[in-house]
Amino acid sequence: MMTPLVINWSHVWMVTGLGFCMVILLLVVLIFILKLLGAVVSSAVKAPKAAQPKAVAAPTAQAAPASAESQADDDLAAIAMALHLYFNGVHDVEPTEIHIKRVERSGWNSKLYGMNNLHR
Amino acid sequence: MGDILEFFEQMGFMNMTYQQGIMLLLSFFLLYLAIKKQYEPLLLLPIAFGMLLTNLPGAGMYHSELWTAFLDANSPAYHSYGTIMREGGLLDILYIGVKAGVYPCLIFMGVGAMTDFGPLIANPKSLLLGAAAQLGIFLTFLAANSMGFTEAQAGSIGIIGGADGPTSIFLTSKLAPELLGPIAIAAYSYMALVPVIQPPIMRALTTKKERAIKMSQLRPVSKTEKIIFPIAITTIVALILPDAAPLIGCLMLGNLAKECGVVDRLSKTMQNELMNIVVIFLGLTVGATATASSFLDWSTIKIMVMGVVAFGCGTAGGILLAKLMNVFSKEKINPLIGSAGVSAVPMAARVSQQVGQEENPSNFLLMHAMGPNVAGVIGSAVAAGILLTMLG
Repeated sequence: MMTPLVINWSHVWMVTGLGFCMVILLLVVLIFILKLLGAVVSSAVKAPKAAQPKAVAAPTAQAAPASAESQADDDLAAIAMALHLYFNGVHDVEPTEIHIKRVERSGWNSKLYGMNNLHR
Repeated sequence: MGDILEFFEQMGFMNMTYQQGIMLLLSFFLLYLAIKKQYEPLLLLPIAFGMLLTNLPGAGMYHSELWTAFLDANSPAYHSYGTIMREGGLLDILYIGVKAGVYPCLIFMGVGAMTDFGPLIANPKSLLLGAAAQLGIFLTFLAANSMGFTEAQAGSIGIIGGADGPTSIFLTSKLAPELLGPIAIAAYSYMALVPVIQPPIMRALTTKKERAIKMSQLRPVSKTEKIIFPIAITTIVALILPDAAPLIGCLMLGNLAKECGVVDRLSKTMQNELMNIVVIFLGLTVGATATASSFLDWSTIKIMVMGVVAFGCGTAGGILLAKLMNVFSKEKINPLIGSAGVSAVPMAARVSQQVGQEENPSNFLLMHAMGPNVAGVIGSAVAAGILLTMLG
């Protein structure tokens, strides 16, 4: 016969509460670190651009974001279309099989009876 | 005549118990689900076949009594891998990788090499959703205690709510190895059933208007950020929570190999060959632990029931926190992405996308949901580390 287990409820509640809070806390710390990382990296990327000579930087600075933006839009449109086709099953389903139609012989096309033997 | 009789006596048929018969039938059913229904076949097939092999009487491929002695402090075989190598069968020897916590970590390496953390880096708040979805783990821990399981067993059952197979196996092999079979099968079965379990909960907890919320596009993430991310996460998590270091460390090593771009061969090996080999070993050996004596028990049914509860609570936790964040945040987020906070990459994110599109066909939540989804992988590994620290 199984002996009834004595449950230390205070410890169980402590593990439940503290454990969940620790998961939240640790991931909140990671949020701050990721935000910091994003800020540092973006500032590091911006800094060399500012240092470039104005005359050279001007045309590329105008052209680059525009082309990047249009490329991103194109990408998004392609992804959206692919997802739409996939989820709504809009595309044609090809059988991917080549069928060679067999000619059935009968009295109407048999060379024995016909004058023009088209099917050989 | 005596030889013939002896041959008949040694046949598996003559030595089979009815419990082993039931387990064989169960393994056939799981093989059917894997092959015909394609429920997580990459894992379910080796698990089911391991279950088949271990329940063949007389085959001697897996010896649960050796592993009981391995854990018994009074036994001469206590923590003796030498005894296992000397006296064990093929599956006993392969099981050493589970027991030592090697396979789950190697799988995490492959998962890391296949995962793009870009959506998470672009929207760090996703980590909160990944954390909230771990609610299921801790509520189930509480429930399992009240149902008569020990604290270590309850922790292992709770981790099913993380919807992360390798993490469940890693933690259970450390805390409650006697429950490894049922817990692994529950974890992988429910992961395959994510598209069935989650949508009703998602619809029940959100309004039509909330489900139709469109989110703004994520910012582009630079390569530098993607390279620094795994190094920073490993360092910080391992310093705060050393018990989570094996899982997080391997996950991030795989990711670093992918993102740095200088070790393509290693990255491809992690994603393909290594991952596939380990999946075979892990599946077979986890299935092998499902012997008739350990599996056909009331506790298995309780574990299965609590697994669903854990999954449901995790899903609800993520959604409810997303709704709460909407109260305080100017930029609205679609609460459906909260449900992706349970790991199950990428199926949970796909479910968010599908349910969102039911309300608004032009709404594409997939990339937004990938943030909480990969955050869930980190969250469940962290929760496993916390449970290991507190209960180990």
